[in-house]
Amino acid sequence: MLITRRGAMLASTATLLGAAPLARPALAQSSPILIGWLAALTGPSSAPAIGFDRGVKFAADEINTAGGVKGRKIEIITRDTQGDPTKAVNAAQDMIGRKKVSAIWGPTNSGEALATNAVMARAKMPNMHPCVVDSLIDPVKYPNAFRIAPSNGQWDDAVRNYCLNILKVKDVAVVGDTTGYGTSAVAASVAAFKKDGANVTYQAQIDAIQPDVTPDMLRMKNSGAKVIVVWSVATGMEARLMNERDALGWDVPIVGHPALGSGDVRQLLEKEANWDKVYMVGYASCSYDANGKLPPQTTTFVAKLAGKVSLQDTSLWWVACGYDAIKLVAESVNATGSSTSDAIIGYWNGLQSYPGVFGTYTWTPEQHNGYPTKEVVMSQANSQKDGAFKLAPGYV
Amino acid sequence: MLSSILWTGLAIGAIYALIAVTYNVMFSASRVMSFTAGQVGMLGGVFGAWFILRLHMPIVVGFPLTLAACAAIGVLTELVAVRPVMAGLEKHLYVLSTLALALMLQQLTAIEWSTEPQPFPRIVGAGFVLDEKFWLPLAAGAAVILGLELLYRRTLVGRAFLAIAEDNYAARALGLPERGLRIASFALAGAIAGLAGFAGGQLLLASIANGPMLNFYGFVPVALGGLGNNRGAIVSGLLLGVFQQAANFLFGGVFVSVAVFAAFIVVLMAAPQGLFGAAPTRRV
Repeated sequence: MLITRRGAMLASTATLLGAAPLARPALAQSSPILIGWLAALTGPSSAPAIGFDRGVKFAADEINTAGGVKGRKIEIITRDTQGDPTKAVNAAQDMIGRKKVSAIWGPTNSGEALATNAVMARAKMPNMHPCVVDSLIDPVKYPNAFRIAPSNGQWDDAVRNYCLNILKVKDVAVVGDTTGYGTSAVAASVAAFKKDGANVTYQAQIDAIQPDVTPDMLRMKNSGAKVIVVWSVATGMEARLMNERDALGWDVPIVGHPALGSGDVRQLLEKEANWDKVYMVGYASCSYDANGKLPPQTTTFVAKLAGKVSLQDTSLWWVACGYDAIKLVAESVNATGSSTSDAIIGYWNGLQSYPGVFGTYTWTPEQHNGYPTKEVVMSQANSQKDGAFKLAPGYV
Repeated sequence: MLSSILWTGLAIGAIYALIAVTYNVMFSASRVMSFTAGQVGMLGGVFGAWFILRLHMPIVVGFPLTLAACAAIGVLTELVAVRPVMAGLEKHLYVLSTLALALMLQQLTAIEWSTEPQPFPRIVGAGFVLDEKFWLPLAAGAAVILGLELLYRRTLVGRAFLAIAEDNYAARALGLPERGLRIASFALAGAIAGLAGFAGGQLLLASIANGPMLNFYGFVPVALGGLGNNRGAIVSGLLLGVFQQAANFLFGGVFVSVAVFAAFIVVLMAAPQGLFGAAPTRRV
């Protein structure tokens, strides 16, 4: 048979095209699973992301050391967004368009997530985040977005439940700072308290840099409030409220936002005792019980972290949540055998009571808030030890 | 309630007044309103807390170092944000140049210090009837106004400051070192702002959020007291502090700022040259 140059070319092209479908699965089976990680590792709101990052790295190392997911290694593509929504959007677009990641974890603050949500939805990118703003989760508008931590509404539920059913007080003062978050959180909290039959004796916004909160505290006291609910991340304002409570000799509990337990609050207190009777939003999985013990699954996790991940300067829940996020991506690839967008989102939509370290997650096609409200509890703000807090009095 | 309005109001008012004096001292030397005044005031608190609490320096070392650092930033303002603008034809660009420097100072402080308020050390300690957070700003205000009066009226350098403030060109024609005096004025202004932040540290804490706040509220006594009038600035600052604290008791929240600026506008409508400013005159 005569072998011409044209014939040889056609034959080799046909061979290559014919072999291509065979080669593709082999490549996919060995390529790493790329997970994007939008982390505000520097800048004003970097503390949570630094904690999450420790859990992310620990989970990836643990999975890879055990041989990966169906033989595929996990590779984390981290971008420092510095808490800046513009940088977060640019990083998300880079991860989607250039890096071709399978899923994105983060961003970890609501301001950034409000900006990245639509970008990721357009690309049908599986996205998991811990941001609290309620509107970030909407399975119709953002069918790709899943929340792995409580929403602000769930925090509010926990605070209200603690005030009304555990402290058993009905007369409530609700205050926040003058930011958008403070204003909306106070309005939502007041509406929910009233709906549950509480008597909201006072509601107000306080300027976070106001040097003297005596007028506000006097108004709260004179209104007959038996508990003060605070929605703010302004540690200076929170410390001033606690100091003024002491100056007025007013024995009233302060309940609210997790920032009440921040180390920044402690150093602004005139007396250590001013931090007593302050209860902040916490999580059952990361709280010490009356005997000083963490729940069993958390105890096992903390033992695994020992010597590898520091908990001295961060919150345990941040580390646990970052760990769970990577595990949930890995689990979806393991269960479906695929790292495509449809496979991951499909798996997450059917997740039922997944036993993570931070929480027990359940997602459905209609509900992408995966954290159970019953696992949101109140903690004693002044009881931090190794990143975890004691349960507030009244829990059994 | 009355004592809280009075003492807290006077203390905050004294801090505003000192920032207003800072604006005035910078203005008199350069005819430039430098918007770094509030940021340097904020740095007075930050440097004080940094030197004394973080670096564990004794107060007798930390305090003068704070004033020196703030004076240096005053000089930096003159070199970076004022001098290049004065050399150009469009002198009103100082609004942008000083605001840009103010923003840079704030961002740098956020990165190197903290975005959260930090504690400020107690300077004198307990033992007085009135807490030091109330009387220290008042004492600082009294010391500054007394010191400036002595400087301007009893010293040759002070008279030279007044000369360039009065007529820059005539002062130069007489052989006064206008550029050197302007730098000295900015150093003095920086030190006064630093003193404001240091004396008010217990009340305001060492926080970057104080910068914009002092910029705004420190400017009000300048307008009320009459541009360049230090006595007017001190009285207006104290009145502003007391009014603001009274509004805090009466209204609270965001309405305090509304009340303050409503009063400010009403006063300026009634007396455009300020409560203590002289009506402008024109030689004919």
